[in-house]
Amino acid sequence: MSSSASKLRLRREQTLLELNQGATPEGQVTHLETVAFGPSLAVERFRFGNGLELLFCEDHSAPVIAYHTWFRVGSRHEREGKTGLAHLFEHLMFNEVEGRKAGEFDRKLEEAGAESNASTWLDFTQYNVSIPKDQLPLVVKLESERMSRLVLRDPQVKSEKEVVANERRYRVDDDLEGAVSELLWATAFQSHAYRWPTIGWMKDIEAFTTEDCLEFYKTYYSPNNAVLVIVGDVAEGALLKRLSQAYGALPASTLPLEDVRPEPPQSDERRVEVMKPTSTEKLVVGYHSPAMGDFDHPALSLLAEVLFSGRASRLHQKLVRELELATEVRAFVGPFRDPGLFELFVSAREGQTAEQLLAVIDAEFAKVQDEPIAAEEIARAAARLELGLLAGLETVDGKASTLGFYETVLGRPGAAFERLETTRRITASDLLRVARRYLLPRYRNVIFVRPDPNASKDEGAESDHDDDAEAAE
Amino acid sequence: MSAAANVVRLADAGGAAVLLETSRALPLVSISIGLKTGALLDAPGKEGTTRLLSRLMRRTAGGLEAQVIDTRIDSLGGSLGADVAHSTMVFQATVISRSLAAFVDLLVDVLARPGLFEAELERLQRETLAELTDSLDDDRGLARRFFRRRFFGAHPYGRSVSGTPKSVPEITPADARLVFERAFVRDNLVFAFSGDLDGALASRIAQRLSDALPGGVAPVDDTPEPSPVPGRRLVLVDKPDRTQTQILIGCLGSHTRDEDHVALLVANTIFGGTFTARMTQEVRSKRGWSYGAYSNVPFDRRRQSFSMWTFPKADDAGPCLRLELGMLHDLREQGVTKQELSWAKRYLVRSHCFAIDTAAKRVGLALDQALYELPQDYYSRYLERIQAVTLDEANSSVRNRLSEDDLLITVVGTESVVGGAVRAAVDGLASTEVVPFDRVD
Repeated sequence: MSSSASKLRLRREQTLLELNQGATPEGQVTHLETVAFGPSLAVERFRFGNGLELLFCEDHSAPVIAYHTWFRVGSRHEREGKTGLAHLFEHLMFNEVEGRKAGEFDRKLEEAGAESNASTWLDFTQYNVSIPKDQLPLVVKLESERMSRLVLRDPQVKSEKEVVANERRYRVDDDLEGAVSELLWATAFQSHAYRWPTIGWMKDIEAFTTEDCLEFYKTYYSPNNAVLVIVGDVAEGALLKRLSQAYGALPASTLPLEDVRPEPPQSDERRVEVMKPTSTEKLVVGYHSPAMGDFDHPALSLLAEVLFSGRASRLHQKLVRELELATEVRAFVGPFRDPGLFELFVSAREGQTAEQLLAVIDAEFAKVQDEPIAAEEIARAAARLELGLLAGLETVDGKASTLGFYETVLGRPGAAFERLETTRRITASDLLRVARRYLLPRYRNVIFVRPDPNASKDEGAESDHDDDAEAAE
Repeated sequence: MSAAANVVRLADAGGAAVLLETSRALPLVSISIGLKTGALLDAPGKEGTTRLLSRLMRRTAGGLEAQVIDTRIDSLGGSLGADVAHSTMVFQATVISRSLAAFVDLLVDVLARPGLFEAELERLQRETLAELTDSLDDDRGLARRFFRRRFFGAHPYGRSVSGTPKSVPEITPADARLVFERAFVRDNLVFAFSGDLDGALASRIAQRLSDALPGGVAPVDDTPEPSPVPGRRLVLVDKPDRTQTQILIGCLGSHTRDEDHVALLVANTIFGGTFTARMTQEVRSKRGWSYGAYSNVPFDRRRQSFSMWTFPKADDAGPCLRLELGMLHDLREQGVTKQELSWAKRYLVRSHCFAIDTAAKRVGLALDQALYELPQDYYSRYLERIQAVTLDEANSSVRNRLSEDDLLITVVGTESVVGGAVRAAVDGLASTEVVPFDRVD
């Protein structure tokens, strides 16, 4: 251990000794580990007596701080008839807190110059605030207050349900990709909670009561179900003292056992045809794929990169460039705690059919199941993933998002770089294995989107497509 | 920290300005190659030429095949794209620093030695036409396009950057080459570097890129100032099966050289610039009518539009539109309050740190300043100007710049469902145009 590291450790021990003297059991703070985060940064993991975890990364690159709160609750923790509750609740967390009227939370944060937002997904709900460094006391106070003293009243719940219903219309009902993705997951999953959308079914959103929301809050919004991820220009000792004061008195709760229902293996291909007001056919396919923590996940992700990512990828070259059957191709291996989907989206050109697209994809998949992929092609895909990771770490918010995501899904905050190292070791054999294991028709769900003839396009009509700025390539 | 605090201007490279901020935080280098001209160089009837050219250059760099170029970019751990606007074009390149030298070789080929092959242009035209068809699926994009087209009308800002199904097939190799020869001269360029490289290296790269280009005179932007839309005009973009609407309301907005430009930015912050601004409070928080409700004051070299954006469900479209028009009226008549002004100034000053929290963002602002010919002190005195805005200045800017008489209202929705309510919501409506979502005159 270097002398500077030794001094840091001694200073931390002294800080914790002072903090823990006279603190309640809930407020006791323990340093658990130091985790490497890339070549130059380190993350310190602390745990409070009430179970709250803290991941802290000191970063003086700008006078700002990213302050994220990740709760280990997502749409997977909901049940039939109550879908979308985690997401609705995320909205409600910006409402009234004891001693503060509705709207004050956002108003005060904006006045402090903060940027704040939140998101809900299958496995988690996260709240993020980025603040100028001198505004740390405010955000600690506001965030700790809403973790334990949220006020829920009927008018606010009613209004927020309307907002969420409108969000659903925007993202799903009037959005072709949103609507088809929802259909794909509902087709592919028949047992696991991943079968319903994070935003929830409309009838469930409309039916929520204030009591549903209160029950959800009491059940899941406790310090022992949360991780604070803080990255930025603040000293560790000062931060710990402030957090201890704000969060140390919050009681832990008894978390319910999650009623997980693993998805049984799919044994036959499922096909669905749907009509939409669109000009061209679309093909959406979901192959059952491994969980994020599975040994095969990095290899399947790299294979997806080879096949679909970037203009040099095999399917882009084949479908968009060579055969001119499609406008765009995209794919995504779900990064979830439980097995998810390897999702493909392809938009056909006018006059081409989704069946033609599927035939080409099948032929390309057969190739990667039969022939090893060249080392240069593998290295190229790995370089794309490396660039993507690095580009996402330019801001403190990007770093906090990466840490929080990998902590919540895998329990290892530095796993982004571990995966990068794993990816560099992936061989042609690994890619053959995952291609043969996962890219099988019996494991897939296929949605054929057809243009609705009632939403007819004017023959000979001229369309105008102007915009402020257009990205090219 | 100010926007320009760490950005240095290096010696010009053959007439092209060179900006740099070094940051060793990550092993990445970003290179932006900005042009002071954009899609306004497209000849009438050939809209989309500049954007097609930017893609063609990337695909034919050094006379190579597109697949070879794409493969090389990916292998180096790089990315390269171009953003084309009416007045500017920027090639954005990022690469893992270990591959910088080889990546610069490629950039030289893109900028100075593109093959501009006819067969590749034809392929791009087919691709672009297919993309234009796909874009009809995006309701928000449709609202923006119809708004811009109708708002600016015959003014050059009303022309399409991407091109139209009619203009794109008309573009010839000679058209693309003409724009290339006019735009890619040293005096028309600004190089902006950030990340893992020092001044000496940045200068060498800039010089190399510049040396590969010809001299010559940069085209002059003689675009006239746009005129207001006369009266209250409604454009209903009819699309079947919509459960909600996309509403854009706009009038002429601001120019960066207006004396009240910053005052209008502050007033807009209060009206619709943040999550707790008046629009979000009234439309979303109190009524739950729209997931988002914002207003916007963008800039270009000439005066741009001011616009308000909401997307209520079909049943709420009429009431929401009426509410928004009422809010605009109240803003002009009653102005903002002293408390609101103080709050907005604190927000704008304190949050500015997030516009400049990375080297790439700081260099990006300096690049914008150069490309859009912003006042020299636009960013260096930005915070000072915000703090100096008085209540009278903020309210005068609203009254003088924003109109509630000369307004364009664009609604994307199902006309048979929302048409009546939307028309009834607009008092003094001068004209209504109903247009199918996939058709324009």
